[in-house]
Amino acid sequence: MAGLELLSDQGYRVDGRRAGELRKIQARMGVFAQADGSAYIEQGNTKALAVVYGPHEMRGSRSRALPDRALVNCQYSMATFSTGERKRRPHGDRKACEMGLQLRQTFEAAILTQLYPRSQIDIYVQVLQADGGNYAACVNAATLAVLDAGIPMRDFVCACSAGFVDGTALADLSHVEEAAGGPQVALALLPASGQLALLEMDARLHEDHLQQVLEAASQAARDVHALLDRVVRQHVREAALLLGD
Amino acid sequence: MAMAPPMRYCVPGERLCNLEEASPGSGTYTRHGYIFSSLSGCLVKTSDNGELPVVSVTRETESQMLPDVGTIVTCKVSSINSRFAKVHILYVGSTPLKNSFRGTIRKEDVRATEKDKVEIYKSFRPGDIVLAKVISLGDAQSNYLLTTAENELGVVVAHSESGGSSLLYPTKNCLFLSLGAEVFRWYPSAGVRCSVPGHTLKNSAK
Repeated sequence: MAGLELLSDQGYRVDGRRAGELRKIQARMGVFAQADGSAYIEQGNTKALAVVYGPHEMRGSRSRALPDRALVNCQYSMATFSTGERKRRPHGDRKACEMGLQLRQTFEAAILTQLYPRSQIDIYVQVLQADGGNYAACVNAATLAVLDAGIPMRDFVCACSAGFVDGTALADLSHVEEAAGGPQVALALLPASGQLALLEMDARLHEDHLQQVLEAASQAARDVHALLDRVVRQHVREAALLLGD
Repeated sequence: MAMAPPMRYCVPGERLCNLEEASPGSGTYTRHGYIFSSLSGCLVKTSDNGELPVVSVTRETESQMLPDVGTIVTCKVSSINSRFAKVHILYVGSTPLKNSFRGTIRKEDVRATEKDKVEIYKSFRPGDIVLAKVISLGDAQSNYLLTTAENELGVVVAHSESGGSSLLYPTKNCLFLSLGAEVFRWYPSAGVRCSVPGHTLKNSAK
């Protein structure tokens, strides 16, 4: 689209945000009663739902069970109505498999799997509305769902995407900014220790700009952490009040 | 109503205290000499006299437990074979499981004495409730391995062969059921279940 500037001269983006500003995030835990853990998150217009089952016995082939830790099985799917055009996505398609693998890598770093040998933890994430930052919304929703299920984790996993336009790093890209074709970085962070669980980019970015983009994404992930922390504390307090009196 | 001191809620990754001040309990992990929380819940600090207090994080709803080696489990026999009996593990200790796990009681693990003379058909029937102990988590080919070769373990509740509605119940050292002409008796610790036709017992010996 000619003339669409992602970053105006005054420093405003297409939706009126500043360069390092996140979209509005709302999250809820314990959405479904029948699953072990569930959570729903809205990051701007991106809506994601995560459901966790486990730890339970290995389903399917028992030979895949790991003798000293739990197997984390992640599945990612997008609803047919999630994008601008209704598109039916087959279940095992490449994008979904890749996302599932990335989610698995992320959560194997955070969940204390040594406590559950020879068992399986299932994390299912579904994107209900995709407006950019799908991976980040999925990770944030899945973190809350794993916490809701009571599975011990080393730390929260908070994720955010970042891009680079006109010498400035932008945090939390929306669909319009992603479609513009610039470099995009997806980063998942364990905030307390500052360790990265996953860092992904498939674009070309000059080495000199990498540090700036990483810092923007890390700062945004920490902001997400502050928010999720508040949501979890609120949920725990409400649950204790319901059961306590 | 007197207000208890305000509960402290913690989230995973929150640093609770130093390893010198307390020792880690359930729901926590240690790193670099500090204790961190690994669950989202309430902080509980129990102080034993003389020893270091134990810091743990508890949730209102307990998460799924897994049978561990050495725990006593309650299971239900699902199928039998001449070499082993397959069971569904329903309770770990006294906690019911949301999803049942599968386990196997091999012929040589049924009782401690005369292991080669065990007949599975005479020891277990499908539908029996068994108290067993986990001896192994299993490997690539097998489920949880259980044993009943101890005094307190074995079949505790079963249906008799004659009538579907009569339940056999455990007495001091064996199970009795008086059903008119037939008495079924078996010894849980020996894992043997046998019928003694032709005898009547008015009161079961307790």
